[in-house]
Amino acid sequence: MTLRIHSRRDTAIAVAALLVLLAAPKIFPRGVVNDLWSVAFAIVLAASWNILGGFAGQVSIGYSAFLGIGAYTTALLSLKGISPWLTLPLAAFLGAAFSVLIGLPTFRLRGPYFTIATIGVSEAVRVLASGVSFTGGSSGLRMPADSYDFVSNYVAIVLLAAAAVGISWVIRGSSLGQALAAVRQDIDAAEAVGIDSTRVKLRAHAISAAMVSIAGGLFAMNFQYIAPGSVFDFRLSLSIVLMPIVGGVGTIAGPILGAIIFSYMQIKLLSSPALRDSYLFIYGGLLMLIMIFEPKGLVGLWMRLRRSVRRAPAAEIAA
Amino acid sequence: MSSLLPVLVNSLLAAGLYATMAYGLAMIYGVMRIINLAHAGVMMLGAYATFTLFTRFHMDPFLSLLVVVPLFYFLGVLVYRAIVRRLPRASAGPSMESLLLLFGLWLVLQNLAYFIWTGETQSILTGYTMKSIEVLGVRVGLPLVFVFAASAASLLFLNLFLRRTYAGRAIRAVTQNRDAAWLSGIDAERVSAAAFGIGTAFAGAAGTLMSTMYAFTPDFGRSFLLKAFCIIVLGGMESFTGVAAGALVLALLENAVSAWTPIPTTFQDAISFTLLVLALVLFPKGLPGLAAGLSRKVTAR
Repeated sequence: MTLRIHSRRDTAIAVAALLVLLAAPKIFPRGVVNDLWSVAFAIVLAASWNILGGFAGQVSIGYSAFLGIGAYTTALLSLKGISPWLTLPLAAFLGAAFSVLIGLPTFRLRGPYFTIATIGVSEAVRVLASGVSFTGGSSGLRMPADSYDFVSNYVAIVLLAAAAVGISWVIRGSSLGQALAAVRQDIDAAEAVGIDSTRVKLRAHAISAAMVSIAGGLFAMNFQYIAPGSVFDFRLSLSIVLMPIVGGVGTIAGPILGAIIFSYMQIKLLSSPALRDSYLFIYGGLLMLIMIFEPKGLVGLWMRLRRSVRRAPAAEIAA
Repeated sequence: MSSLLPVLVNSLLAAGLYATMAYGLAMIYGVMRIINLAHAGVMMLGAYATFTLFTRFHMDPFLSLLVVVPLFYFLGVLVYRAIVRRLPRASAGPSMESLLLLFGLWLVLQNLAYFIWTGETQSILTGYTMKSIEVLGVRVGLPLVFVFAASAASLLFLNLFLRRTYAGRAIRAVTQNRDAAWLSGIDAERVSAAAFGIGTAFAGAAGTLMSTMYAFTPDFGRSFLLKAFCIIVLGGMESFTGVAAGALVLALLENAVSAWTPIPTTFQDAISFTLLVLALVLFPKGLPGLAAGLSRKVTAR
């Protein structure tokens, strides 16, 4: 159930989109570019999550931990006088290391039990982060004043989004992708044919955690202020899960679609108080509708529509 | 440094509430193999229902159990018939779809509470909220004692229901073996609806009891949900005494840590979350599906 890649046409579209996005600061007014930053940020989160949650079917509701680790690595080191750009590789490394640390015990759990454990881990991280002093507690941390450069940050997040999508695409076609798909479909059968399920899950987890942590660092640089309540927020974990699910879990196009819809919604929600108060209603309602009617998300719905359109003429002939 | 007795008394009293909170979750899991994430939302709604009954009709929070329990039973049956029944039935373990569906329901319930009661922190102050009493020579809050008494009574009642009535035995039969129960003529669909209703009613009751002790917002219940998971994982998902034992273990650990270690109380929740992950990983025997999976793995090698 994946969208077929008509390689040449799709590559052309992707390259064109990337070029337009990269040139955006020169073409569009600042407000639009700000919104595009949010879209690219959402694409990084959704596409990264999808590598573990979609390809391997391991639904984690704890990804805000990686975002927070990345954001705090960048903020704390920048405050020590290190260039924020140089902190990003370390952010990626720490995020990946933490993903292995929590993956080792929790990947022994299956399906929903894994999901519950991830809620436990992320809540524990959030409680600890709000309690210790170096995170700035509830008052948070402010980045050094000279670390702000919107245009280069924008270019970086767009390139990261392109990398996240590209890496997903490469992984899906690779032997790791095959192993992840086998784990998703039947973990016992995968083990029986010699796949070390824990190992492939750990790899997928580390790759996606590293990208989310870099996004966290860029988040700190762009907003100049972070607090445990903003980067370790449960709602953040929640939207990271919802974007790929709405778009179509396990596909390449799904997370991008979900991220665009979600960031558009988020921008609309922020501008209207009535909608802002009902965002949980929208998120929760969407999740319920998708689970009851189309667990494969918008991409699944699209495939179904296309199939029924194609089948219709054939049915007429048969009649 | 405090002595042993206060820790024991406080733990025992807290365990009553914890068991009530966890039992609804355990029953729904047992009968349907569904992990009900909406449990947290239902506990929160229970607290708010009690709040409304208290402020509008001046009904005592403990008396309001008589309204909340039947009301939430029907709410649960309604949710089962309207939503949960539509899910494809998972044969072995709980399905991801059911988890995410009920997660969505939890979010909707949170937003509903936000619409009705706003996001402000609410609490219920009665004449006895601040009073305390001596139990075995230890000073404890009066509400905590009442909460324990109400929890113990409801758990006893539930135990009798499960052992002595046809409906209760049917629920236990479906929990033990769905197919065998079906072969002996039990309508598993009706049993599931009833179990979902009872589980919801218990969550509502737990919410009522908690509202006498804690302040609450629409976000209320998440940390308690994780505690409830921790308990049913520790105690084994389907056993009545197991849930009580799990509740006691968690309460003992929390009270012991706050009494004898310098770990600040702000980190107390982190303890139960960590314990949850540890319990899931180290004592997977509590989870029958997982235990079966592991033994399969062992025999395969």
